Amino acid sequence: MTAMKTTAIRWAVIVGTIAAAITPIAARATDPVLPPPYAGVYQPQGVDEIGLWHDDDDDEHALAASPLVIRDEKLTAYVKRVLCDTVGDDRCAPIRIYIIREPAFNASMSPNGTMRVLSGLFLRVRNDSEFGAVLGHEFGHFESRHTLAAFKGRRSGTDLLAWTALLASVAPSYGMARSYDDLRYSVYGSIFRHGRDQEREADRLGIAYLNHSHFRPQSASVMWHTVMAEAEASARAKGLKKPNFKTIAFTASHPPEAERAHYLAALAAPDDAGRADGADRYRAALAPWMPVFLDDQIKLNDFGGSDYLIENLAETGWTAPLWLARGDLYRTRGAQRDYANAATFYANAIDLDPTLAPAFRGLGLTLVKTGRTTEGQDALRRYLALSPTAPGAKLVRMMVPQGTNP
Amino acid sequence: MTRALRSFVIATGIAALVAAPTTAQERSATKQGFDLPANSAKRILVFRPSVRVGAQSTGGMFEPNADWTDKATRNIAASLTKLQSTLGNTVVTAPEAYGDDAQTLQEHMALFAAVSDAVIQYQFFKGNRLPTKKRDNKADVFDWSLGTGVASLPGAKDADYGLFIYNRDAYGSTGRKVLQVLAALGPGLAVKSGEHLGYAGLVDLRTGDLLWLNADAAMGGDVRDAEGSEKRVRQLLEDFPGSTIRATADQPAADPPVAAPRPDTVAAPR
Repeated sequence: MTAMKTTAIRWAVIVGTIAAAITPIAARATDPVLPPPYAGVYQPQGVDEIGLWHDDDDDEHALAASPLVIRDEKLTAYVKRVLCDTVGDDRCAPIRIYIIREPAFNASMSPNGTMRVLSGLFLRVRNDSEFGAVLGHEFGHFESRHTLAAFKGRRSGTDLLAWTALLASVAPSYGMARSYDDLRYSVYGSIFRHGRDQEREADRLGIAYLNHSHFRPQSASVMWHTVMAEAEASARAKGLKKPNFKTIAFTASHPPEAERAHYLAALAAPDDAGRADGADRYRAALAPWMPVFLDDQIKLNDFGGSDYLIENLAETGWTAPLWLARGDLYRTRGAQRDYANAATFYANAIDLDPTLAPAFRGLGLTLVKTGRTTEGQDALRRYLALSPTAPGAKLVRMMVPQGTNP
Repeated sequence: MTRALRSFVIATGIAALVAAPTTAQERSATKQGFDLPANSAKRILVFRPSVRVGAQSTGGMFEPNADWTDKATRNIAASLTKLQSTLGNTVVTAPEAYGDDAQTLQEHMALFAAVSDAVIQYQFFKGNRLPTKKRDNKADVFDWSLGTGVASLPGAKDADYGLFIYNRDAYGSTGRKVLQVLAALGPGLAVKSGEHLGYAGLVDLRTGDLLWLNADAAMGGDVRDAEGSEKRVRQLLEDFPGSTIRATADQPAADPPVAAPRPDTVAAPR
């Protein structure tokens, strides 16, 4: 019974903390939120936290040697720079960054200070400020030690369920079974709700870092609008119903996008809207990788979403890699009507960069498909001249008449 | 998002007061035609053992414990050296790998984990075995391989065989044990307290073939102390090719319940 009482008390405490965590967000502060003072390098405390960190150290050991990690010192240093600019040099110093090649929109931070950034994130943000908003949010999870709190919450919840399951089975009646079921759903529900509240808290910390940095805090909200617009574009292209950005599913891990966009806009310091967003630095740092990440995105076979992302990135000006990506997107969907558009996009890419070999390859293949064989072969010859040792060069050579090879 | 996924998995798995039905606990197999005579003085390369020790919460969650894990890692390594030398083999610890070597090693560790999981799932234990593997069992065929890539692993040149070890222990917390007793006394439900999984595999460092695998879902020996670890390693190595090691006692549970005898099956609470 004692154990049960403690569980119940622990549970009540958790519910209390959750309530405490929500309140500050609900109430709109008149002053811009700022981060709490930096408390120095943190070391884990207590058996649970030390255990979680130990597990995480093992995970990081494996991650550091994972083939999925992009080992580009320059890119990693740039990500670290943006994180430091966002949260401050003292806070960011002990953090290790791992960029993982995976075309999904996510980043995460685990208890011991490992930050994972998925490559798909780079296509969804367009400047340092938007990027910093995501990194700051993840750092907020770390600084608030959310993994530990979530672990303890799950444990209390499941402990409570174990005891009540036992009680319910001592008095096996229909009413007991139903009460147990009700409790079960309410405990599962609180576990998920606790997770969403942690996301809100991290959002609040993230925007606090941005307010405090030299980035434009309004970018956090802008980024969520981009995410919603992408989901809409994706659904539209598939002929699906417009996604609902306001409802919360029972198992939702995050608050709905519309809510986040709304409160992030409200929490951003209004006076800082004129700050530079750092778009130039972002474009320069990502230039070597953009074609790779765009290619990964196109292979997801999400026509509407990919087309939206490309156009969104092109809002500040079309570049040759963006036209190339759009050409590839249309060519690989491969309806006869797509080839006409693809040819135009490849031509645009070549206009901007006459040495862009893959654009000639795409143009050649597209033209051959639409019956303009001679022009197509010319483009393919140009491709072979520009990159004679490309992996697909032998295959392309077979499409060009013999004897005229460069 | 990984966090969210994990919590979902846990939430859906919570109903597991109700544990999976207990099946056969232990099984080992040796590749056909492989024999390792005693005192053949082979060099065995031991890869970083995967050891994770913690507690089991009342609701059944795993609670990691860094201190226990560190102790177990040290104890297991010491017992391994001791027991292999009684078999006449030399145990070499795999050197720390850097750069590309570290990546190759990491991939092979993951590959070994995947292959041994497949053996355990599809050949060893009842429930999900593949028809082809059942046939193999009848014909005494044990044919799995990691591929010849193992020859390039750091330290592989100077050794004959590679040994992989996996251990995961969750010791029932006080709450779990009390729950176990009350559930047995009250409604007569069987609740499992503690979980002790282990497997060890021997790989030919030339061909990559899996020569021997021993898996045990209810291991004995408390890995947190030196004596218990030795018992654990004895159990892991008891069917080791050419082994004269026998487990000291036939005690399946390292974590005996407080009062009630360890139950084998568990029923749903309603």
